[in-house]
Amino acid sequence: MNDNQILSVGIDLGTSTTQLILSRLTIKNFASAFSVPRINISKKEVIFKSNIIFTPLKTQTEIDADAIKTFVSEQYQKAGVNKGDIQMGAVIITGETARKENSEIVTQALSGYAGDFVVATAGPDLESIIAAKGAGTNIVAKENRKNIVNMDIGGGTSNLGLFSDEDVIDTACFDVGGRLIKIDPQSHRISYIAPKVKELIDRLHLNELYEEAQVTDQQLQPVINCLTQILENSIGLGQKSPYFDLFITNHGLNPENQIDGVTFSGGVADCLNETLPDDEFRYGDIGLLLGNAVRHSLIFKEKDVYPSIETIRATVVGAGSHTTDVTGSTIAYTEGILPLRNLPILKIAKSDESLDVDDLAAKISEKINWYRVQNELNNVALALVGKHSPSFADIQRYAAGIVKGATVLITKHEPLIIMVHEDMAKALGHSIFARLPAKYPFVCIDSVKVENGDYIDIGEPVAGGEVLPVIVKTLVFG
Amino acid sequence: MNEQDIKSMIETILTDMTSTKEADKNNVGPQTADSAPKEATQQDISGDVLDDITKIDLRKQFLVPHPHDREGYLKIKSFTPARLGMWRAGCRYKTASVLRFRADHAAAQDAVFSDVDPQLPKEMGFLETQTTCQSKDEYLTRPDHGRKFSDEMAEKIKQSVTPSPKIQMIVGDGLSSAAIEANVKDIIPAIQQGLKVYGLSFETKDVIFVKYARVGAEDQIGEITNADVVCMLVGERPGLVTAKSMSAYIAYKPTVGMPEANRTVVSNIHDGGLPAVEAGAYIAELLDKMIRLKKSGIDLKAAENAGN
Amino acid sequence: MILQTKLFDKLYRFGSVKEVLAKANEVKSGDELAGVAAEDATERVAAKVVLSNLTLEDIYNNPVVPYEDDEVTRIIIDGVNKRIYNEIKNWTVSDLREWVLSDTTTDYDIKRIRQGITSEMAAAITKLMTNMDLVIAAKKIIVEKTANTTIGRPGTFSSRLQTNHPTDDIDGIMAGIMEGLSMGIGDAVIGLNPNDDSVDSVVKILNKFEDFRAQWDVPTQCSVLAHVTTQMEAIKRGAPVGLCFQSIAGSEKGNTAFGINADMISEAYDLTLHEGQAAGPNVMYFETGEGSELSAEANFGADELTMESRCYGFAKKFDPYIVNTVVGFIGPEYLYNSKQVIRAGLEDHFMGKLQGISMGCDVCYTNHMKADQNDAENLAVLLGAAGCNYIMGVPHADDVMLNYESTGFQETATIREIFGYHPIKEFEDWMEKMDISHNGQLTERAGDASIFLN
Repeated sequence: MNDNQILSVGIDLGTSTTQLILSRLTIKNFASAFSVPRINISKKEVIFKSNIIFTPLKTQTEIDADAIKTFVSEQYQKAGVNKGDIQMGAVIITGETARKENSEIVTQALSGYAGDFVVATAGPDLESIIAAKGAGTNIVAKENRKNIVNMDIGGGTSNLGLFSDEDVIDTACFDVGGRLIKIDPQSHRISYIAPKVKELIDRLHLNELYEEAQVTDQQLQPVINCLTQILENSIGLGQKSPYFDLFITNHGLNPENQIDGVTFSGGVADCLNETLPDDEFRYGDIGLLLGNAVRHSLIFKEKDVYPSIETIRATVVGAGSHTTDVTGSTIAYTEGILPLRNLPILKIAKSDESLDVDDLAAKISEKINWYRVQNELNNVALALVGKHSPSFADIQRYAAGIVKGATVLITKHEPLIIMVHEDMAKALGHSIFARLPAKYPFVCIDSVKVENGDYIDIGEPVAGGEVLPVIVKTLVFG
Repeated sequence: MNEQDIKSMIETILTDMTSTKEADKNNVGPQTADSAPKEATQQDISGDVLDDITKIDLRKQFLVPHPHDREGYLKIKSFTPARLGMWRAGCRYKTASVLRFRADHAAAQDAVFSDVDPQLPKEMGFLETQTTCQSKDEYLTRPDHGRKFSDEMAEKIKQSVTPSPKIQMIVGDGLSSAAIEANVKDIIPAIQQGLKVYGLSFETKDVIFVKYARVGAEDQIGEITNADVVCMLVGERPGLVTAKSMSAYIAYKPTVGMPEANRTVVSNIHDGGLPAVEAGAYIAELLDKMIRLKKSGIDLKAAENAGN
Repeated sequence: MILQTKLFDKLYRFGSVKEVLAKANEVKSGDELAGVAAEDATERVAAKVVLSNLTLEDIYNNPVVPYEDDEVTRIIIDGVNKRIYNEIKNWTVSDLREWVLSDTTTDYDIKRIRQGITSEMAAAITKLMTNMDLVIAAKKIIVEKTANTTIGRPGTFSSRLQTNHPTDDIDGIMAGIMEGLSMGIGDAVIGLNPNDDSVDSVVKILNKFEDFRAQWDVPTQCSVLAHVTTQMEAIKRGAPVGLCFQSIAGSEKGNTAFGINADMISEAYDLTLHEGQAAGPNVMYFETGEGSELSAEANFGADELTMESRCYGFAKKFDPYIVNTVVGFIGPEYLYNSKQVIRAGLEDHFMGKLQGISMGCDVCYTNHMKADQNDAENLAVLLGAAGCNYIMGVPHADDVMLNYESTGFQETATIREIFGYHPIKEFEDWMEKMDISHNGQLTERAGDASIFLN
């Protein structure tokens, strides 16, 4: 493997299906020969796609960790890669399976096994972003200079990611999906109804819909219509359904954001057909019915629908190819402390950044204490905006304030992780170095945008140590 | 003629009279003493200051009056520092854009044709030297003279700085005195601080300030001082975007006449490019690398690509 | 051959034709730097006197770089039609000057004599010409070349659209192209100087240019001014190269410094003719500039004007669509101030046209030269009067990548207005279709890049 390439894995553990992809990220210096390197990811290629399997479950909600482990190892073998070659990546656990217990099971099952990559467990917001990037919504939005929302309609949830240009501006998630009701393809008997759908059925008094009941598509139509209306409502179309709030997973989109067009991804994106086939339950669920209904919904009538790059694989491709970023050349770090995982971001208020050394230190130390859980201090990544073109005196002030404010962490010998948005990390790093005890571990990187509530993973250095791969996990939207 | 008619006739006459009067009044203008041009009195001169046009962000300045797609235009314009969206006056330029262009060009020319503030090397405690050039004009037309020191000057350098240092720093005015004035005070301590990380150092009193300096002047200094690595900070030829851009030309054991490819260059050091302090930190790392690998320029790059 | 004369009773003696050529040159800082310039103004005139009396045969027999040592000299000498040369070899340099300026000498006559002269002869008469001579002589010479469209037709004035970007950001580059096209700029070529000379990057930009050109049906040609070897590799990868570009010099050694030789350019010419985007037959684009040979220590003791003329002799072999001198780019050590730049721009333009080159000029200056935009505008107007084929169109004349000042979109529009010139016919038709111009007048849409946004 070329040193200027990063092998990244993406694993999507969804409500219904699980898949894996491997992608190769090429990093390139975009600066001319006479400038400081400006390193960025120049190419993202998916080099291997696994089969799509049904997510192995022990119960309706508990993931079978051993089966996942077997699946992953088989796929690596097929792809001809060693787990040790994989430098970055993300496991996204989505939909109804995205519970804390499951993520812990998977993390344990895969850590040290699937390569030394970073295991991320997604909330619905991160999943929405990842799916939209995998679908290419950011590219559609940029090329058309419009606000485009991706609707990733999966088995259990629909994840919405709204992009303006290349930037995500909002996300949302609804418990609407193709496998909320499972139906035997032969007998047409219902085998499973998701809890929220059960409540909907009760409230609609659809007495013929219950687990074990044999059904027709006509009998299911009121449920399908309701789910479709919620999807319409989710992007501000149609009359608001009385059940809209019931199906919100965490939150809807901010209604003030303009939406010009739509892309679709997720399994149901492959079912957006004009007409229903005769064997409408061939996938053992309501995916085809829902897809057909969406095709005839207000979404197609009132919005421009753009083709997406990936549909059912959008999330996994997003996880494998679009989560990793790089930071490089003007950074400073001590050897041997990477990778670092799941560090919460602690962002200093911009107004506090101009304080003198002692006051800045006091603010930092106060905020670090917010992360004291059950009297146990957790390490954090300290984030600052920094100053555009700082003077040497500015650097000294920042460094002194940070080192003094982080005394509690330093006493515990936690590695000091500093992220600054402006281009000043190397000078700041040197200044911090001068103030820390000898050989104290620290990382100081710049040009990465983070907010409070984000988590960050920093991978092992690549490209001769000049570049660090970084994954920012954005979990909250302001 | 009845009363009504008389009334309306009088009205017409009066109206005509008054409007004639009005017209006359309008015609007399310039002849009256009141409206003759007069010298402004102290009270007429406002204490207000016009806005500084050089503070306008060119990426946001937009003078097209009725664009087909304003938002789209601003967006595409934001991708380039080029002066787009400046519109036109007939087939010529708008006054605002042409004045800004002239202001930026004036700053660039002033940066070239003026000297570095003589107080700067003194305040910093640098050793002051000069190439064989005797004037700015000679400097601009005779690049060869800007690379050479007289024997007396060479001797002065030899006597004044620490011999055979690991690092010899040089500050040269080059083509922009403004670049030196803007960046040197921040970059020197940043390099010194960065070098500490690698256990290296230089003293400010050993920094050589060179007036009328071309990059090649560092080669002779390399020979005079027998330094391992010579690093020259020099003002770049100004563009309109900035007149304050500085570069560092760094060479391992430079000699007069060595290939240009043996220099490692860090360019674009200014507040809109690579900030001076960050450049200093980066240069410190480069200096360490060159001392360790005993190489610079393309040889250094080749060695790095070969995996150190 | 007489190499000495008296002026004001003082004897001036010169050692060689090369020395006469050098000392007869108008003042150029580059010649002083090279140590070949006249000692004083009187010696300069003495050299002009001696030069005016030399025959074309004297010049022919004394190329400034020996035939045996230099492929550029061989290309120039071997390209001469001996029959035509024999008809004129006894003319003095003065005769040739006066013949070119004569009322009865037409473009038709010059086309024939052109085949009998060398680059040194073109340089020689240029040294005897005043600025206005250079304007009127160039004005009568018509050089038309065809790639996709035909440049140089009488009554037309074209421009290269040049929207360089410090990091080759394609969106930023395209923004400039949209604005330029909306002003009627780019009928000569849409050409980018890339910051990144890699094949990948060049291919990407070429594809983008061609996609845009095709989408809007713009009748012009595109070029990315990377090294010729990079462009050849791009063509081999299927990239749509319209014009194949290279910077050239007036000696083999100078070309070596650019990493090229005649065989390489021949190969590029052949490849572009057969696999390029433009129909041709003229598919090459070259840039030159007085002083580049000296900066590569490849001037062989000759003056920068004569070396420049030899660039056109070299270029002629590859029948280029366009050549432009980047006249003020190189800096004050070669052309000291605006006076020297204006003179050089007129000289290069005339010498190129005399040798059958479709000449344009990058009317420009750097910020360490004693020149400003007024000087650039002066030269642009003079070249407009001289019938120059094209100048540059850089947004507001400020090149944000190469850090120098050239001519803006407005200058081309203004010169068209002053002299009643038009863009290339097909391009002007396109402007009418786009409602950028109406009956030859720019409309309210001209200068609005956003007309290309959906």
